[in-house]
Amino acid sequence: MTPPTVFAQQRPAQKRPAQGRLGQIIAVASGKGGVGKTWFSVTLAHALTRAGARVLLVDWDLGLANLDVQLGLSPQSDLAAVLRDRLPLAGAVMHHPVGFDILAGSSGTGAISALDAGGLAYMLTATRALAEHYDYVICDLAAGIDPTVRRMAAFVDLLLVVVTDEPTSLTDAYAVLKLHRQDAPTPGNRARIVVNRATSPTSGTRTYTTLARACQTFLGQTPALAGIIRRDDRVADAIRRQMPFLARHPTSAAAVDVEAVARGILPGE
Amino acid sequence: MRLKVYHAANMAAAMDAVRAELGGDALILATRRTRDGVEVTAGVEAAPAPALPPMPVEVAAPRPVAAAPALGMQERKAMLEWHGVPGAICAKLQNGPLPFALQLSFRFAKLDLSAKAPPLMCVGPPGAGKTLTIARLATRLVLAGQAPLVITTDGQRAGAVEQLQAFTKLLGLELVVADDAVGVARALAGRTGPALIDTPGCDPFDPAAHAELAGIAARAQAYQALVLPAGLDPLESQDIGAAFRAGGASLLIATKTDIARRIGGLLAAAGAGLTLSEAGIGPGAADGLTSLTPAWLADRLLHRRSPGETQR
Repeated sequence: MTPPTVFAQQRPAQKRPAQGRLGQIIAVASGKGGVGKTWFSVTLAHALTRAGARVLLVDWDLGLANLDVQLGLSPQSDLAAVLRDRLPLAGAVMHHPVGFDILAGSSGTGAISALDAGGLAYMLTATRALAEHYDYVICDLAAGIDPTVRRMAAFVDLLLVVVTDEPTSLTDAYAVLKLHRQDAPTPGNRARIVVNRATSPTSGTRTYTTLARACQTFLGQTPALAGIIRRDDRVADAIRRQMPFLARHPTSAAAVDVEAVARGILPGE
Repeated sequence: MRLKVYHAANMAAAMDAVRAELGGDALILATRRTRDGVEVTAGVEAAPAPALPPMPVEVAAPRPVAAAPALGMQERKAMLEWHGVPGAICAKLQNGPLPFALQLSFRFAKLDLSAKAPPLMCVGPPGAGKTLTIARLATRLVLAGQAPLVITTDGQRAGAVEQLQAFTKLLGLELVVADDAVGVARALAGRTGPALIDTPGCDPFDPAAHAELAGIAARAQAYQALVLPAGLDPLESQDIGAAFRAGGASLLIATKTDIARRIGGLLAAAGAGLTLSEAGIGPGAADGLTSLTPAWLADRLLHRRSPGETQR
């Protein structure tokens, strides 16, 4: 089989007019690692693309980037490289054959261990400018709740917090929501919960309600439910094969569920 | 938040374990039956998080986002319709979790019954529960260590003063009977604590009655709370709410939620622009009134009370 890398090409800097683009920046967070955050980011980007939106997928996990690995890409430039020299972000954007654009994290050119405040401000401002060319910019955040991650989460338009039914995941997702409420200039209803790997819709609802109840009581606000994604063994298969999940298993339960999340994000629903 | 999952043979044993380990402040987040008994998920809130130092460089603020997706909305819509919630309000309650949607569509506020707050004046149609509401609020204040001044302008109706007096005597409070706005103002002149004013039931659609209430409220610098049973016909409630709102009422105290099945009337009345504050939930003077919060209201709306079933 031909590896997808062959299709992936470096994309020249954006030239098309920015009019009519939503330019919404969405970050995917979880607090705890290993809950399917990167997989969800890729699949959501793909689902929004299939719905006709123009999407850029960005790896904001600069320490341990793996978006490109999950998609089997070999980027020639990446976010870390352009940030180091304060170059335009568009220079590192590549196109995936399924239709969305990708800005890889730091594969191959060495990780940035810590982004200083100036570098972070540059990245956020540049991301906002780049977003003008897209309907949605999906940013895959790093695990953890260090100040850089907090600032990124506070900056975006919509924060999707991925959680599973494990107590550790619930605790960490709550921590993310609590900090977001504190850090975001206008927290409002900017955070939504995505329940991943639910054994059933009922168990997924229970996971959401558990987290929502903690938020309502301790934070005085209930984040909306963005969706419940059922556990699906075919997810691991797609990741092993480094293929976008919706391309390989478009009719699976998890695919249907992610597409429902995408419909909730698209305007007019 | 410290979160812990407990397994026990029964609920009581699980709750004991929760309290023993997490203390009395623990919040029960979820419970479910398992093969061997019950599973309880509980959490306690840890210290507040350290604030982020300010950014040295300004970055742009986030943009507005579209409303949350619709989940379980068919069921919710059916439930709201069963309650008789007017269509325009139903339509506003279709986004996000119901407590959140309620919070967006209505105003909610705790009653301010502090010593420095303006007097609270209960108004409403006859038989709405104004006097009992005053008695309950007075009881709440006394239990909190405060001695409110209780005034009634309902000196005409047979037994009206006696009904309130039965409570104020029990609470060791003085009851002032005032004939008019001047009498109320005189009684208020020497107050040192919170003040509660009971009024006679009035015809919601009689402008003269509203003018008289407005006169008392202006003189007493009081805020008017419409006391209205939750189970009235929604269209009628909507009109009553609008009439009292126009007459100067700003708050809504919904009574008799425990003896009603459908409470669409409550939302219809609040839709006139009244702030939801308290709900009557039982016959008791000390515990018959609860704070009307979005969470409470959502729970009440989503729980269909069958005939013969006692309200939770």
